[in-house]
Amino acid sequence: MSEPIIQTRGLSKEFARDQFKVVALNGADLTVDKGEFVALMGPSGSGKSTLLHLIAAMDRPTSGDINVLGQNLRGLSESAIAKWRNAHIGFVFQSFNLLPVLTALENVELPLKLTKLSKSQRIEHARRALELVGLADRLDHTPRQLSGGQEQRVAIARAIVTDPDLLLADEPTGNLDAVSAREVLTLLGRLNREFGKTVVMVTHDPHAARAASKIRYLDKGALLPEGQQPEDWEVR
Amino acid sequence: MLQHFPLIWKNSVRNKRRSLLTIVSIAASLCLLAVLGVLYHVFFLADAAPEQAQRLIVRNKVSLTNPLPLSYREKIKQVPGVAEVMIYQWFGGTYIDPSNFFARAAIEPEKLLNVYSEYKVPDDQWKAFVADRSGCLLGRKTAERYNLKIGDRVPLIGDIFPVNLTFTVRAIYDAYRDNENLLFHFEYLNESMRTSGQIGRSDLVGTYVIRMTGPEHAASISRAIDDMFRNAPLPTKTETERAFEVSFLAFIGNVKLFMMVISAAITFTILLVAANTMAMSVRERLREVGVLKTLGFTQGGVLSILMGEAIVISLLGGGIGLGLAGLLCRGLSGLPSTFVDMTRFTLTPAVAAGCMAVALVIGVVSSFVPAWNASRRNILEALRVTD
Repeated sequence: MSEPIIQTRGLSKEFARDQFKVVALNGADLTVDKGEFVALMGPSGSGKSTLLHLIAAMDRPTSGDINVLGQNLRGLSESAIAKWRNAHIGFVFQSFNLLPVLTALENVELPLKLTKLSKSQRIEHARRALELVGLADRLDHTPRQLSGGQEQRVAIARAIVTDPDLLLADEPTGNLDAVSAREVLTLLGRLNREFGKTVVMVTHDPHAARAASKIRYLDKGALLPEGQQPEDWEVR
Repeated sequence: MLQHFPLIWKNSVRNKRRSLLTIVSIAASLCLLAVLGVLYHVFFLADAAPEQAQRLIVRNKVSLTNPLPLSYREKIKQVPGVAEVMIYQWFGGTYIDPSNFFARAAIEPEKLLNVYSEYKVPDDQWKAFVADRSGCLLGRKTAERYNLKIGDRVPLIGDIFPVNLTFTVRAIYDAYRDNENLLFHFEYLNESMRTSGQIGRSDLVGTYVIRMTGPEHAASISRAIDDMFRNAPLPTKTETERAFEVSFLAFIGNVKLFMMVISAAITFTILLVAANTMAMSVRERLREVGVLKTLGFTQGGVLSILMGEAIVISLLGGGIGLGLAGLLCRGLSGLPSTFVDMTRFTLTPAVAAGCMAVALVIGVVSSFVPAWNASRRNILEALRVTD
């Protein structure tokens, strides 16, 4: 029996832009089961990144309920959310966002510094995560010494080093060439299949979305029913 | 906080040129601040040396340039608690070149070692000095500086006193402080004044140095002497040797206030420099603040990392500044101790701790506002900032 890991009900997010109110997400009802690999697709401004940020508790919804890993995120304080995010969420950015002053190993070790692990345990975990993404020979390289694809793999290692239940990726292949993008998607697929990680990935690239087991579309802030695409999606 | 030190350290030296310039400016300021602190400590806070605490100086109440009559000596000697009274007449003059500066004074040789017990002179040299009215006693430091040996002639061209005197070095003394004087017989000066027709200036004394039976009598002796001459034509001012030294500073104004104002100005200026650097540094890394918060860092964690960088830079600057100040003080302590005991110019733990505390405050204050604002940023807002 499937176990829902993400449940949103009527989730909305509005922004104020000057004197205008912009509805970025409008009443989204989304359920993601444990072990699923879901791609959120849609045109620019459709609200897919907003939905992902709300799931990661990087932003607060204007209205609606959101329950992730059994936790109602609306009731948590900022510091509780930070701790929760560190323990349960791995986040992969489009632009990698590695800290340039740190080596690959140190970047991956960073989230573990918020845990109670000893220094040697942290190093061991970070090393293993980098081995998993195929960068065992790049431990002491700084981001500047890595290619884009390698940087993204370090970012994925950083996202999985705390062994989170949920992996969220915001356009993870958006800044990569085709070969690197394929490597990253293969890696995300492996993490989903072999390690049981639930993955939610935002993308507007149909090739990338094919790596997912399920695709959900958003259009103009609305999450479309399962199996439905925006009307002119293929044309676009 | 400690576990984030590698990140704090790497961020601190990330922009090497900027960090170096900031560290150098903090180091220069803290060095100056430390030297001022040492000066302040030496002038106003340090205790007198044990021998110094035994001595009082009597001078004319009006000014140091006004003399006292020779007849006061015996009256002062009668005051309870006074163990010895010795004439100390500043001579000044020039030794070969005006830049050759060291204290030259006329004293009473037979009383000298009783009053200045810290002076150590070999017996035979001492006897030769006491026996020769045109002999002089030279501090070891001055003897070495001018390569003067026993038997050498030392000519002094008078300025305050319009007589030229020539001395024979009869003795060289050692002392842990104040070992740079040239001391000679007061009788020789007094006679020279008489024979050169300056009778009106003979039998007058610039200061009397008193050795007390114990430092606890300082207040009562000072009061008794000054009361004794209160209604005399030439009233006196009696003070400890330490206070007498410090009084020289009054010639150049309110030194205490001056030093405090300079210190405050230095601290404020460097605070502005550090604040500007920190504001730039934080602004450049707002995106990373968003990343850190995404990884689970709390506002407090981000704040401590950002402030930690400023504190590291400030403490580094402070440490280097203190090192420079230590070297400067070592250099200053070798200067002539004519008016102030320069051997005391050492960087004390209290001054060093004070300067490091200032460095810490600079680090905290300069970074707090930009770090606080950055740490409060919403994750998405921070991530939207482009490099």
